[in-house]
Amino acid sequence: MITEKHEELAALYAFDLLEGAERAEFESALAASSELRTLVHSLRETAASVALSAPQMEPPAGLKERIMSIATETHPEEKQEAFSWFKLVPWAIAAGLALVAIRLGTQNFSLRTENSNLLTERKLAETAYKMAQDKLTERSLLAEKMITDLGNKLRNSEDLARLKITALASLAGNTKASQVIAVWDPAQQSGLLAMDKLPPIGDTQDYQIWVVDPAYKDPVNAGIFHVWSDGRAAVPFKPDEPVAHAAAFAVSLEKKGGVAKAEGTIVMLGK
Amino acid sequence: MTGTQSNLTGEDQGRGQAELLAAIARGEKAALAGLYDSLSRPLYSLAYRILGDDAEAKDVVQDVFLQIWRKAGTFDPVRGSVFGWAATLTRHRAVDRVRMRKRRAEILAESAADLQPSPLSGNLDSSASLWHQEKARAVRSALGQLAPEQQKAIELAFFSGLTQLQISAKLNEPLGTVKARIRRGLLKLKETLSSKL
Repeated sequence: MITEKHEELAALYAFDLLEGAERAEFESALAASSELRTLVHSLRETAASVALSAPQMEPPAGLKERIMSIATETHPEEKQEAFSWFKLVPWAIAAGLALVAIRLGTQNFSLRTENSNLLTERKLAETAYKMAQDKLTERSLLAEKMITDLGNKLRNSEDLARLKITALASLAGNTKASQVIAVWDPAQQSGLLAMDKLPPIGDTQDYQIWVVDPAYKDPVNAGIFHVWSDGRAAVPFKPDEPVAHAAAFAVSLEKKGGVAKAEGTIVMLGK
Repeated sequence: MTGTQSNLTGEDQGRGQAELLAAIARGEKAALAGLYDSLSRPLYSLAYRILGDDAEAKDVVQDVFLQIWRKAGTFDPVRGSVFGWAATLTRHRAVDRVRMRKRRAEILAESAADLQPSPLSGNLDSSASLWHQEKARAVRSALGQLAPEQQKAIELAFFSGLTQLQISAKLNEPLGTVKARIRRGLLKLKETLSSKL
């Protein structure tokens, strides 16, 4: 049963006046109804006949020869098997696969009716793809150059050269898997401690950072930090006293809040 | 010519065009020449009617016949006639060109007179095929039987390349009214032509 609404949509569809969601929705209905398809085919044929109401004109002389000449250089494509909507009927009946059938039917219907448009779109897409590829290549080359330049700058950088980078070794049995790196900038008198798999500690304790400078009798306190369950942390530190020569870095386990002089176990040490 | 004779002529012509298309699909160039002789006039007239430019109309017709040459094997006779297929291809290409060159408003202004209900007695060239003359006369007659507002809506829908909303704006009528006119007009046209062609 074709409703008046579907009749209206079919008429608009015959003139290619449906767009977007309205068109997609109608094509879904079209794929599911052979009766509607028959109506659309007949309306399209009727619509096409309106062409004959145009004032009649003779085609320009020479057009036929031109077409025949171009046709001689090309060959017809292989005949394609005619599409049959009846192949979709069993799918439409099967409730579970109805949506899939509708979608396939819609796509096939669109593909056949918009074949020339798709070919044009494909050519445009290929051109756009080629342009995008070229741009990407250009950008890739540019990025590569930027990285190279940056690397050169870093290698040449006095800032980098003056940094002291030390890997701290584990001193306690329970911290074997721990990895701690200390980066020290003598000019800024500050550093960064990056660590992984340092054992988590209780709320009553803190890890404490020490910088060993031969100018001082005792290691210089550089602050405390806490490690939670994942054992990861990146902690900036700054010694309490000016450090002229950072001979070594250490991490000890102290009571909550830290201490003035190291009392607890030294768990990590690096020179 | 009686209606019966016209009908037979139309059927023969349609069958002949379908046979030509099948031969084109097999790569027979003589069939392409035959189809050109049969369809070039109405297709060129259609393209010119939409584009209003002979050079562009010529390009469209050339593209269509070359597409027919390459794609004849995709034609499905279940879905309509060869003429219907070729006219649809021509219309799509012509409308695409109108949209691409963004001269729709200009063209509409140039061809405003054509968008009025067409005269029923067109100047048909004596060299036109009998089939073509008969069918064109039948279509014009059928269009003439529509209410003027339906005829105008149908012609705008087919020839202008405008959207529903643009047609509504051009006719200064609500969208729902325009849709209804197109529906009623096309159904009436279908009914009238089915008894004539």
